[in-house]
Amino acid sequence: MSGKVSFQILTYGVVCLAILLLPIVVDDAFLLNKYSRYLVSGMLAIALSLSWGYAGILNLGQATTFGLGSYCMAMYLKLKTVPIHTGSDGLPDFMVWNNVTELPWIWVPFHSTAFALAAGILVPALFAALLGWFMFGGRVTGVYAAIITLAVMVVVNLIIIDQQSYTGGFNGLTDLAQFELFGFEFDAYSASTYYLVAIGLTISLFLSLAVTRSKTGLILQAVRDQEERVRFFGYDVALYKTFVFAFSAAIAGFAGMFYTIVMEFASPTFLGVPLSLSIVIWVAVGGRQSLLGAMLGALLVTGVQGALSESETFLETWTLIMGALFVLIVLFLPKGLAGAFSALIDRLAPASRAPISQAVENSPKAEAHIGGAA
Amino acid sequence: MNTSREPLLSLREATVSFQGFIAVDHLDLDVGKGELRCLIGPNGAGKTTTLDLICGKSRITSGEISFKGVPIHALKEFQIARAGIGRKFQVPSVFRQLTVRENLSIGQSRATGVLHNLLKFGSNDDRSRLEEIAVLVGLRDEMETLAAHLSHGQTQWLEIALILAQDPALILMDEPTAGMTAHETAKTATLFNRLRGKHTLIVVEHDMGFVRDIAETISVMHQGRLLAQGTTDEVANDPRVREAYLGSGGIGHA
Ligand SMILES: Nc1ncnc2c1ncn2[C@@H]1O[C@H](COP(=O)(O)OP(=O)(O)O)[C@@H](O)[C@H]1O
Ligand SMILES: [Mg+2]
Repeated sequence: MSGKVSFQILTYGVVCLAILLLPIVVDDAFLLNKYSRYLVSGMLAIALSLSWGYAGILNLGQATTFGLGSYCMAMYLKLKTVPIHTGSDGLPDFMVWNNVTELPWIWVPFHSTAFALAAGILVPALFAALLGWFMFGGRVTGVYAAIITLAVMVVVNLIIIDQQSYTGGFNGLTDLAQFELFGFEFDAYSASTYYLVAIGLTISLFLSLAVTRSKTGLILQAVRDQEERVRFFGYDVALYKTFVFAFSAAIAGFAGMFYTIVMEFASPTFLGVPLSLSIVIWVAVGGRQSLLGAMLGALLVTGVQGALSESETFLETWTLIMGALFVLIVLFLPKGLAGAFSALIDRLAPASRAPISQAVENSPKAEAHIGGAA
Repeated sequence: MNTSREPLLSLREATVSFQGFIAVDHLDLDVGKGELRCLIGPNGAGKTTTLDLICGKSRITSGEISFKGVPIHALKEFQIARAGIGRKFQVPSVFRQLTVRENLSIGQSRATGVLHNLLKFGSNDDRSRLEEIAVLVGLRDEMETLAAHLSHGQTQWLEIALILAQDPALILMDEPTAGMTAHETAKTATLFNRLRGKHTLIVVEHDMGFVRDIAETISVMHQGRLLAQGTTDEVANDPRVREAYLGSGGIGHA
């Protein structure tokens, strides 16, 4: 078992190292910016794999917490922006246009770097914790939980668009300053920003790996299998689900912060249905029960999408291709590419264990669950 | 009946109505500490529902259930479990996508906190205890097998093993030998006799041979009520019990 774990850590490490070293062979600033965006997608896929793949919570509104993180970073960078993009008293330009005379209280603490960086992670996490506590405490599961996450995203999106004087409305927050940390400048079109995102991705991946490998991760998988049963061992299932939901949101928020740095703006479209559904597809393609698989699924799909988008005709058919790909994977590879890959390895290395499996599968009761929990 | 001991579990006038259907009807039941109580009765008598009420899966509509002298019927399922009550379900329910070892680790639930368990990794389990339990239920060689790949009898044993890993003061077993071969049933009887005294058990059983092998006191339920209670012979010779079992193939076959 510990051999299996160290092999896993090694694989994850090698992939992260390859990602980190990429700028050695690629020195096109435009490409690096594009790749940074793909890495952000990878982080989002990790976040969804945690809640969906490990705990069985299908979050159709993952982009909500992504957007919250992105806006936190954008507010911070907006306040840092050069005077030409600010009005009198250093008020952000769009506020001046909206006749706001004083910086709203919610913006004030974003002058502080430490506050802004913490908020980008904690605001999404607390938001998800609150939502999760209501959903899971009320035993809302499955499709109903998925629909609630979707509905909440639509509401948050509408609020952001509606509160134009605080959020920039439809236009979002644009004309941001460059992110700076410890005197280091992170130009969106540079290797330094790519490294920053790659490190963020590596941290997210390994933290998530630690969570899934812990006993809490094991209990979450048990919840995914048979939620009802877990309660009778004394575990507070609602609390466990709330935790993973919030942790997943923290990673999505973390990803959102990087996205603002890479894109140099924040927009209500970041909290959109298209992005949320794309994340589901990336994770399904890569394999939702594998963090690495989900992440590589995101890199693969967004990468192919990026390559195809060079050509007009392909971009139009892309949605169609995505849909078809999703259906095929769901039908034929329920565990995604990661599942297919590990099945292949098992076949090539048959040493593991003699299959007593199929014959005993036929017990009629075997498929039943207590309490009808799926 | 024969216990002057302070009861560990007691049900007073426990009643549950499912949309008007009274599945358990003013049930009084006392189980003493360390006792192995068998609960029998024809199909639909309310045995499973009684266990559901004790562990919180269903809620009583009136009456009281107390454990160690404290009312528990208003507690949440996980709180009842933490108080020291473990449950094996009639339909074996284990975590099919996890290995036997992982299943056992879930069962070992002394620490239930999210953050506490976040810092606990595989090697921190009480491994020797898990191995011991696996040996006890004959799953020693299946530790790395997915639970989905176990036979029916093995699945039953795995769930029993989960309860042993949980180590609750009171164990509720719902038809633990259902689907087992005669040999497996005999092994289970041996196992239960070893648990006697260390744990308090309530065992719902259909197999009268098995009940004879393990029982001290038998409680008989019929139509949600307690019909009779006593030793195997007392119960078997009770005319009311015979009558209740008429039409369901007799007590030996219930
Ligand atoms: N949740 C429920 N809703 C409605 N009726 C139920 C429910 N649970 C049990 N019953 C009914 O209660 C009666 C007792 O069931 P049960 O306790 O499973 O019996 P036993 O385990 O003794 O065979 C049965 O008639 C059953 O149909
Ligand atoms: Mg029953």
